[in-house]
Amino acid sequence: MASVDLAIAGLAIGAIAALSGIGLLVTYRTNGVLNLAQGGIAALVAYLYREMAVVWGLPVWLSAVLSLAVLSPGIGVALERFVFRPLARRRASAAESLVASLGVMVLCLGICAGIWGLGAQTDTPAVFPDKSVSFGSHHIGVDTISTLVLIVIACVALGLLQNRTKFGRQMRAVVDDRQLAELSSIPADRVAAAGWAFGTTLAGFTGVLLAPRISLSPYSLSLVVLETFAVVVAARLVSLPIAVLAGLAIGILQSELTQFTVHGSLADLYRTLGSSLFVVVLLVLLLAIPNLRELGDAGSAGSFSSRGGGEEGGTVAERSKDLVWRIAGVVMLLAPMIFAPSDLRHAFMVPALALIFLSIVIVTGYSGQVSLGVAGYAGLGAVFALKLASTGLIGIPRLPGLLAILVGAILVAPIGLITGYPAIRRRGLTLALVTFAVGAVVDRFVFEQSSLTGNLYVNPLHLGGWELGDKAFYVVELIGLGLGLLAVRNLHRGRLGRALLAVRDHNGGAAAVGVDVRNLKLLAFTVSSVVAGLGGALLAYSTSSFSSDTFQPIQSLLWFTAVVVFGADSAVGAIVGAAFIVAIDVMAPSGSSTLAVGILALVLGWLPGGLASAVRSLIRFVAEQLADQFIEPGVSTRWPVPAQAGAAYIEATVPAAALGAVAPGGAAAGSGVAAADRVAADRGLALTPFGRTLLGVIGAASAGPGPADADVVTGSNRPLDIRVDRPTAVGAGGYSSRNHVERGPR
Amino acid sequence: MSRAELRAVGLVRRYGGLTAVDHVDMSAPPGLITGLIGPNGAGKSTLFSLLTGVEQPDEGQVLLGDRDITKLRPDKRSRLGLVQTFQVPSLFTSMTVRENLLVGVENRRRDYAGGLFGSGIRRNDRHEQVVDDMLASLGLNDLAGAVAGSLPTGALRLVECARALCTHPDVLLLDEPASGLDATETERFSQLLRRIADAGVAIVLVDHDVELVFTVCDQVYAMVGGKVVAHGDPATVRSNPTVQSVYLAQGSMT
Repeated sequence: MASVDLAIAGLAIGAIAALSGIGLLVTYRTNGVLNLAQGGIAALVAYLYREMAVVWGLPVWLSAVLSLAVLSPGIGVALERFVFRPLARRRASAAESLVASLGVMVLCLGICAGIWGLGAQTDTPAVFPDKSVSFGSHHIGVDTISTLVLIVIACVALGLLQNRTKFGRQMRAVVDDRQLAELSSIPADRVAAAGWAFGTTLAGFTGVLLAPRISLSPYSLSLVVLETFAVVVAARLVSLPIAVLAGLAIGILQSELTQFTVHGSLADLYRTLGSSLFVVVLLVLLLAIPNLRELGDAGSAGSFSSRGGGEEGGTVAERSKDLVWRIAGVVMLLAPMIFAPSDLRHAFMVPALALIFLSIVIVTGYSGQVSLGVAGYAGLGAVFALKLASTGLIGIPRLPGLLAILVGAILVAPIGLITGYPAIRRRGLTLALVTFAVGAVVDRFVFEQSSLTGNLYVNPLHLGGWELGDKAFYVVELIGLGLGLLAVRNLHRGRLGRALLAVRDHNGGAAAVGVDVRNLKLLAFTVSSVVAGLGGALLAYSTSSFSSDTFQPIQSLLWFTAVVVFGADSAVGAIVGAAFIVAIDVMAPSGSSTLAVGILALVLGWLPGGLASAVRSLIRFVAEQLADQFIEPGVSTRWPVPAQAGAAYIEATVPAAALGAVAPGGAAAGSGVAAADRVAADRGLALTPFGRTLLGVIGAASAGPGPADADVVTGSNRPLDIRVDRPTAVGAGGYSSRNHVERGPR
Repeated sequence: MSRAELRAVGLVRRYGGLTAVDHVDMSAPPGLITGLIGPNGAGKSTLFSLLTGVEQPDEGQVLLGDRDITKLRPDKRSRLGLVQTFQVPSLFTSMTVRENLLVGVENRRRDYAGGLFGSGIRRNDRHEQVVDDMLASLGLNDLAGAVAGSLPTGALRLVECARALCTHPDVLLLDEPASGLDATETERFSQLLRRIADAGVAIVLVDHDVELVFTVCDQVYAMVGGKVVAHGDPATVRSNPTVQSVYLAQGSMT
């Protein structure tokens, strides 16, 4: 009998998860975007609903209608129109969509935290009346029944829509190939917008239904929603019925687990399993399914870093000479030394956070993999260090604090290695989900276990019998950061640096010349986890406490987004980013930094390469403007592009020899221009008069033998940049093939 | 130094009900250029992937010299001397040409972890010398400092080939090396291939351009429907009735 009641209880959660899963699936099927922001949107809608019902005193039904029927779809339509449509238009990689959806997630969290704070609200009214229907001796809540009905309606409606209507056929066409569908005059944008609106509406439902059950706080609610990714992964992102069944099954199973009790040392473990079955299933499924084909390999190597990296200068040697940026970082780090004591304490978090960011730079910027689990490694570093300093750990005796920090960080390495091994064999979004699940599991099974972390306290650090003061601790932190930077530098230089860069640039090409791609990725992953561990340990010391909140899984998403914003392969960007976030958090109400990062992440669409790159190109632009005053026009082969002009201009690199190939024989200068005109016109672009002149000059040079001939190479192979007016956002980069117009290095 | 021969023995690869490669035997002896032709869907790309290790065969073996390399990953095969180039050149676009070649030279060993503590950061003069020689011998000196991402296709192919040669391969597998090249460039490329083969390297060439294959290769395998239908010197294969009918039907061979 108890089982049946438990099953009914589980059904409630399972149904909500299934609803969320349907929303995710529909968005994915219509847009090809795995909406990581689902949780953030759910939280935002739940907060809005509560605001209307509780604060403004509107009737519950009206608040529900407003938030679910107006606001939720509105959010979806707005997201499609202003964030994801531009991305789809320029055929952005799945990695860019991932970052965009993370940006939306962070933005939603930031809005929630900024307006309503990070604290939990427990007064959200339930949408459906708190009554239950009896059958026999059992009771089933009205809300559960309603949710189930909603699921059935959604499934049936989707099924009918897809198979019986014109809109459904259009939908399937758009899913197959958006560009092709548009060519067949299918309103792809409308289909995409409908998909988004549907997805966010279900996200809203998820939030509004969940909020009364769990306490409403931005992080915890969105985490619960993120855990429902288990459902879509079980459905392999394809099958609606499987998603629904999986949601209900996990919900019921989770509930059934509570009727048994396990005694002894496994009791805590078992209890945790009962409360986090979704996360565990997510991880297990991701590990069991070798590669979600549906998730593809999109977003694998390079997609992140190439936006920030290899753009200007590009080579290893050149990029490490980024002086201006470096000096800024050093100044920023040393400035706190002259601060008043209280300000210095605030600054404690900067080097620690910078280390955590560095670890993301290593794994994402240098080896081109997404990692959404960094908070897990950071937290483990903190736990290990504090344990070692207080009681000792797994046979290692108690260590002095400073040594414990170091050893604690190193102890994260085996865990990075073990979790990295399955992770690196996956790519793109699958990898992102695996790392997220690892972080979430670590959080549930380690950080939130009071038996493990309940009695962790931070003792003052000593060195040679002296207790370290604030300044001394800050110096210790800087030394730690120095170690991290050293690791980063060594990963970036010499044979190892080249090999890693090779892996990032072209996996297959690297393997073809014998680079051990798998081990290199594993190495990067492991080093990254150690650096994160060091950062985490220092973070715990700088806040004088260990709190599982500091290292909760959502933090990983925030941090990852911040790193991408500040330039995924810029070590200094990591430091500047950390300083930025800490400064905002100190000066503005909590949550403001989240909001800022969210806004920046969405602006990133206009600033590819992150802020670091934007600032760099701005500096270069100014420098070259100044330089141009002294140089005759036309002599310089590189033309500056204003940092902000990325939206208005593209800089097309047309190797003159390629133009030769377009115009067979490549004889006369005029034909080069004509060819460029044709190529440009193909893409809805037009040559500027300037570009025309330039081409005319160079076209003559390309009339010689082909580029394979080294003698003319000097003349003909140097890329020559022409500026092309770009009237619309028509995907200029999308079709790029090596022997036509390319989006050149900016 | 005598170099190893690449052999495929009874290779089979099925996709569902379709047998893309059907009991194929072939060999690529050192010093010869071996061509692989066939109409679309004949299975030559699949066979190529089986040789490079990108895909695993359902049956059969790939042998390099005496060694069975069937189960090895591409990077391991590369370290053993079986190096491929790609249909779309696979250069490391954010590095210079010189750095690209260096990567080719310096990855026979895998002791990367040492790099964390600073090993391998100093210039290795021996490696630099290999790169210098390669650049000089292929006439790429002027490109050495150029960032690979900025080069046109013709140069990319040449640099990719140079990078492959820097690994000192026994066997070089080339996937449509002439696509995207104009007539002059193709001609130069053919001459280069001959030079490489004369140095004792076994070359396997897959290309759509049947004329190129017949001109440059010493022996040709023609595939149709996953099977090798003709094998021998170019003249023999060209006059083979099956090959004739396939290409006459497609109108691409005169």
